[in-house]
Amino acid sequence: MRESLGADPPGLLERLRAGEPRAFEELVIAYQHRVFGVALRMLGSRAEAEEIAQEVFLRAHRAVADFRGDARLGTWLYAIASRLCLNRLASPDRRVARGDAALADVPAATPDAADAFERAQRDAALRAAIAELPEDRRIVLVLRDVEGLTYDEIAEALALEPGTVRSRLHRARLQLKEKLEPFA
Amino acid sequence: MTCSDTRELFSALADDALAPGERDALQAHLAGCAECRRELAGFERTLRRVRAMDPGRAPAGFVERVLAAARPEPWPRRLARRLFVPWPKVPLGVAAGLLIAGLAVLLFRGSPEQQVAARYEGAPPAATGEAVPPAPAPTPAAPAATREPAPPPPTAARDTAPPAATPPPAAAPQDSAARQLDAPKKADAANQRMADQRASESTGSKTLAAPEGKGQEAFGEALRAKREPEQRAQAPAPVEQFANKQPEIAPKDAADSMSKLRRDAPPPVGAAESQRRERAVEPDRTVAGAARAPAMAQVAPLSRTGPMTGIPAVPPDVTAQLRVADPAGAERALLELAARVGGRQTGRRIDDGRVAVEVAVPRDAYAQFVREAAALGALAIDRQTLASPTIRTEIRLEPQSP
Repeated sequence: MRESLGADPPGLLERLRAGEPRAFEELVIAYQHRVFGVALRMLGSRAEAEEIAQEVFLRAHRAVADFRGDARLGTWLYAIASRLCLNRLASPDRRVARGDAALADVPAATPDAADAFERAQRDAALRAAIAELPEDRRIVLVLRDVEGLTYDEIAEALALEPGTVRSRLHRARLQLKEKLEPFA
Repeated sequence: MTCSDTRELFSALADDALAPGERDALQAHLAGCAECRRELAGFERTLRRVRAMDPGRAPAGFVERVLAAARPEPWPRRLARRLFVPWPKVPLGVAAGLLIAGLAVLLFRGSPEQQVAARYEGAPPAATGEAVPPAPAPTPAAPAATREPAPPPPTAARDTAPPAATPPPAAAPQDSAARQLDAPKKADAANQRMADQRASESTGSKTLAAPEGKGQEAFGEALRAKREPEQRAQAPAPVEQFANKQPEIAPKDAADSMSKLRRDAPPPVGAAESQRRERAVEPDRTVAGAARAPAMAQVAPLSRTGPMTGIPAVPPDVTAQLRVADPAGAERALLELAARVGGRQTGRRIDDGRVAVEVAVPRDAYAQFVREAAALGALAIDRQTLASPTIRTEIRLEPQSP
């Protein structure tokens, strides 16, 4: 799980609003992995994830002048990324097969020579189980257990009540447990 | 607290989000329920596995690609897009009519033989006392000029006339027609567009929120810039689509408009001689049209069936050759086949006189696609990688040697 979302880099929002090109570059550098990670876990394809992640930053670039700053920049970017991913998943044009090899191109975190095969099998089962979660539960699980957001940050990013976040997250975890028990 | 109540709190327990009262009740239940303890252990094991996942890292060069996509578009491209994008909103028939009228005026003014011929044709009405407009409008002049080629070189005007879709002559007649229709308004609009263009040029490179950076159009610009050929280009950019489509659509609409103009035009006034000449010229046109038809079919036979783009620089997953007797028919059949198995056309190019089409086919349907494609002719697969969920397949159509 990623470290929790910290405070925005000091003065970054103001510099972005002022149109400073270097500030936009800092924003992309600071949040590229987080935004890409959400898209990758939601969509399962590195190519599609990169496309969506680029789109997130371009939208932020365009809209930052109107961003009120009620939320942190990181939460705002997660909100844009989540919305774009859910829209993409709902798009009838999306022809990427769901559930089969989704997320299969994500490399394992620590390939170990001793039990590489078993680990690979478990990782594949985990990725497949996440890919099979309903999208509204998957996004909550990804934001909480992969990206490390708090319940309140998730609620803010997805415009949900905290109780809804808690309930969806719990259902997602239970569903994963059922699917993964045979591989335990 | 029941077992069910207890298990509902597992997530909150794992996230340390329980109220003190809830936590105590949960611990009390767990102390006396081995089944719930086992469930909790399984739940925590699953959670540990999810949290141990690699969260994913953006690929190398991602920052540079984003910055490049966010950079303002170069001014020549922006200018070209602003000039060409509004045109599709004009009904194609009207645009083609204006184009032809403008061309006809140019030809009429440029060819002394035709001016002589037109004066000759115009004489009888004046002689019979019919009302003749003092300054003929360009549109009626168009059919007259094309219907009545000047006698000395009867085919010269047709042969030297530029094709309707060729950009350089197209711009001049449109300007000319626009001047004659509502010149002041359009000139103001054009000036305004150019002024906006200059303004955005001067500020676009210096500010993040450039004028063109607002609204959906700006995002489209950014995306178009992002889909440069040197980057991964899955879908054709709208500008490219239009740029490719325009010359293909124009000839048909131009021909339709031409025939409509011919139908709507007043009959040649007392010109039996000119009718005789027209009948004599008509077979020439048919023969010339028939001679041109195969060439047109080879260049763009499927302009209205799918995106007409260059095939992206990224190598496809599969490259193959299909040797067939009828490449044009095979191309249609391939596109229909791709659509039937859930795929779509993603590119097309002419390579050394051969058509190469690229289709994206779902991996699950790829085997069926290959089976059915092989039934169209002799299929030879040069290279094949089936790692992606969507298989981009480029097929070069080779005519079968007799």
